[in-house]
Amino acid sequence: MGAAGAGRLARPPYRPGYAHVGWRAGTATTVAVLALASAPFFLAPYATTALTRMLIFALLAASLDLLVGITGLPSLGHAAYFGVGAYAAGWIAGHGTAAAPAPLLAAVAAGALMAVALGWVAVRSSGVFFLIITLALAEVVRQLAVSWEPVTGGSNGMYGIAATRVGGTALTNVAHLHWYVLFWFLVGLLVLWSLSASPFGATLRGIRDNEPRMRAVGYRPFRYKLAAFVAAGAVAGLAGGLLAAQQRLATPEDLGFTTSALALLAVVIGGSGTIWGPCLGAALVILVRDSFGPSLDGHGPLVLGLVFIVVVYAMPRGVAGVRWSRRRPQLRTKAG
Amino acid sequence: MANWVDIGVIAVLNGLAIGLLLFVVAVGLSLVFGMMDVLNLAHGAVFVAGAYVAWWVVGGSPTWTGWLAALGVALAVGALAGGGLLLMTGPLARRSHLEQALLTLGVALVVAELLSLAFGEDVRSVSPPPGLGGTVSVLGNAYPAYRLLLIALGAGLAVAAHVVVERTPLGALVRATVADRDMVAAVGIDARLVRAGVFVVGSMLATTAGVLGSPIYSPRPGLDSTILILALVVVVIGGLGSVRGALVAALLIGQIESTGRALLSDLASFLLFGSLAIVLALRPRGLFAGAIGGQH
Amino acid sequence: MSGSAINRRQLLGVLGAVGAGAAVGGCGSSVGEGDDGTSDGGGGEVKVGLVVPQAGVYAPLGTDMQRAWDLWLEREGDTFGDYTIATATADEGETPQTGVAAVQQLLQRDQVDILVGIVSSATALGVADMVNEAQKVLIIANAGANDITGAARSPYIWRTSFTNSQVAAPMGEHLSGTVATAYVIASDYAAGAEAIAGFRDGFTSGGGEVVGESNPPFGQTQDYQPFISQIQASGAEATFCFFAGAEAVAFVEQYAQFGLSSQIPLYGSGFLTEGGVLEAQGDAALGVQTTLHYSIELDNAANQEFRTAYEEKYGAAPTVYAVQTWDAANVLSRALRTATGLGGDAVGAALGSIGTIDDSPRGPWSFDGQSPRQAFYLRQVEQRGDALVNAVVSDLGESSQ
Repeated sequence: MGAAGAGRLARPPYRPGYAHVGWRAGTATTVAVLALASAPFFLAPYATTALTRMLIFALLAASLDLLVGITGLPSLGHAAYFGVGAYAAGWIAGHGTAAAPAPLLAAVAAGALMAVALGWVAVRSSGVFFLIITLALAEVVRQLAVSWEPVTGGSNGMYGIAATRVGGTALTNVAHLHWYVLFWFLVGLLVLWSLSASPFGATLRGIRDNEPRMRAVGYRPFRYKLAAFVAAGAVAGLAGGLLAAQQRLATPEDLGFTTSALALLAVVIGGSGTIWGPCLGAALVILVRDSFGPSLDGHGPLVLGLVFIVVVYAMPRGVAGVRWSRRRPQLRTKAG
Repeated sequence: MANWVDIGVIAVLNGLAIGLLLFVVAVGLSLVFGMMDVLNLAHGAVFVAGAYVAWWVVGGSPTWTGWLAALGVALAVGALAGGGLLLMTGPLARRSHLEQALLTLGVALVVAELLSLAFGEDVRSVSPPPGLGGTVSVLGNAYPAYRLLLIALGAGLAVAAHVVVERTPLGALVRATVADRDMVAAVGIDARLVRAGVFVVGSMLATTAGVLGSPIYSPRPGLDSTILILALVVVVIGGLGSVRGALVAALLIGQIESTGRALLSDLASFLLFGSLAIVLALRPRGLFAGAIGGQH
Repeated sequence: MSGSAINRRQLLGVLGAVGAGAAVGGCGSSVGEGDDGTSDGGGGEVKVGLVVPQAGVYAPLGTDMQRAWDLWLEREGDTFGDYTIATATADEGETPQTGVAAVQQLLQRDQVDILVGIVSSATALGVADMVNEAQKVLIIANAGANDITGAARSPYIWRTSFTNSQVAAPMGEHLSGTVATAYVIASDYAAGAEAIAGFRDGFTSGGGEVVGESNPPFGQTQDYQPFISQIQASGAEATFCFFAGAEAVAFVEQYAQFGLSSQIPLYGSGFLTEGGVLEAQGDAALGVQTTLHYSIELDNAANQEFRTAYEEKYGAAPTVYAVQTWDAANVLSRALRTATGLGGDAVGAALGSIGTIDDSPRGPWSFDGQSPRQAFYLRQVEQRGDALVNAVVSDLGESSQ
């Protein structure tokens, strides 16, 4: 990328530069990671499993945020890369090796490759058109998963995926699985944060806020958008690989519209453009869907709908925007 | 015995019926988006509300009175739904598309759930009006009489919408707002009433389509998202805010769903989204980009 | 460098999420061996997890299943052997995403001893590993994928319902005796493919010829005209189809609307005209013939009693889905009389030795390889008063998966 151009944009105005904020954030991160890591010691297996699933979905939402919040590309088909990752990891675990990290590498590669192929078509459009073309492409991928029965298991999904093996031991204990997922969740999040904070991320924000201007100063937005799309696809693939490791099941639903929509909603609920906000949004969505949902006598969708409505009115900038004190309000352009 | 030419004729005719119905659903969605930048994801739920009204009023013992009553109730329901959505999205006028989408999706989930609480979770079947339950012969092939009526009504509504939007001063204001909202405001026209009207009329068209379509699209849980996605596809292919575009796109989708599936039945599952992806890959802003003022 | 993207609020949020998780799941520890999943025999409470869809397209099936389970407990008592039944219900939803989470909740949070239910085959196959690892018995009361008790068999997973091919095969055999050619059409998903395969086997081995096949997109087809025209053009003497739920309603209605039902008779797997869908299809369904392992018209004492009790309590006619769950309660009740414990191995062994269930509304049946060996009936939709029923035409004999 052009070093001069990147230098001009490396420090966006809303990025606080106080040293002590970094220190505080470092402490907060450490405590959060410790809390997540020690969760299996004081949570029952069911709650741990739910937390693990939240982490997986959070990684999916965070990867989508790279597109939605940072690059300004609202995708309604992000589950395609998530699901493809899950299938790829499952296939490698069954037909190659289940030894970590092989299934995850396969998942990342599959997510990235799929994103290269589809992103090359999709990133030419923007706004609502981008929303719909990503939806259409994801539906085609979902239909492939249903139709390509010898490989994917068709509509019944790929079930009985071999448990990931770490050092010769199968990963079936919920606590061990949680730590495995947490480790890769942090790796994935670190990748996203690094991208977001790098000059590359600054360029993406520039494209989001004013694409003609970026083009005028010599950038080629198409390449940057495609690169962001591929990076997001790769991390979504990683999340899919983690899903295959935890759930040991990959189904066409994992690629489908509902999963994509929930991921997008997690981003909006959590607060787009912050990477960590969508993680909280994802936790909320999964909490309602998987933990409260089954006990609501079938009224899970009703509660989810009410949550959306309340969030839109009560938390204009998502969960990440609540209690916002020291930072100056940032100007946000319409994401669409 | 029917031959392949006959199959083609029937399929094209049928595609016309489906396409016109889709147009009636989608035109409201398209105009609301074009005028107010609100992507109303509750539009499918509004359609389904209309279909449930048809079942509730008409049910399995159809009379013409019942059908007319159902249309009347559906228009009222549509007006209420449009008004409600207008009030709910009003405070979010300055917020992003995504937040409005989140809100309307939340509304869609709640409405769908309330509808299944009210009408049950079984599929509900609506019989066509008396005398239209049978078939008529079209070039020697049996074809359901009701679908012919659907074609006539759909065509009538399409022409009416076209005339109103393209040929009247009111329509000119609508088109101007779609093309450049700020300019309309700048020249001192208060388009709020027009916008509200478009939202309400768009919802009324959706519930009307729900009633008219109910003998084919039986009301049931989950129908709302099916219809929503079809309508979104129509709106996007046709270009946002364009009545003419929505009509052409709806007719196209009708043919893909009908003739396309008849000719390429092995690929039936891929046709809709595959062709949508191809259209958008070639024309990233829809088939009719440029026909309307671009503001997106 | 990335420090500014996170702060105390993130910490609070994560702690909040952990706290919420704790509130949902209760506290404890996930580290270590976990519970061993066995209790000793000799009475006490047995926790049964009922997994049925309460939301989504399968909700009507879930309602029937829940009702049958409640009815059994009410009529036969909640004492199975020396055990008292405590039921915990979870919503299976529409997809494995919700279904697997529901089973997980029952197994891990509610610590149930036995699972009953599951409508979706994908969910049933998806939870197999979890059930195996927990070593708990799962009695499937609907899901019909052949693999559940076939290729993906587990000693802990039993089924009181059917397999998709098992239901369709008798129709193939029966039709091969009356027509020479048939067109087959089924939704483009696994259950449809299995049903078509079962039908083909029966039909071609009896000398029939399948002259065409269509697979309308599953969940995306409202208009069947393109496929109906092809059936018409194929010159087949009969149509065999596999549809369920909303698609069954749409297909049967449109088959009649296009005037085909008077030209090419329609046959199918029994789900085509079972329960609420038959009411919705109305007169369009008249004359449609299906095969199934149950009809409310069956003339046996157990069915009379079951039907009367069900209709009295719920004001609605029972369905095959209700009978499958009723029988799940029945076999569980029988197994717990002899089981030496509540672990999967003990209950599984007891289930394997209960022999013939002679008081089922569907007629006598027995487990053969963990799935029923049962009679199939040829049924025809007829008018009975102001309601439509699946009248029993003949008994096509017993078969296994």
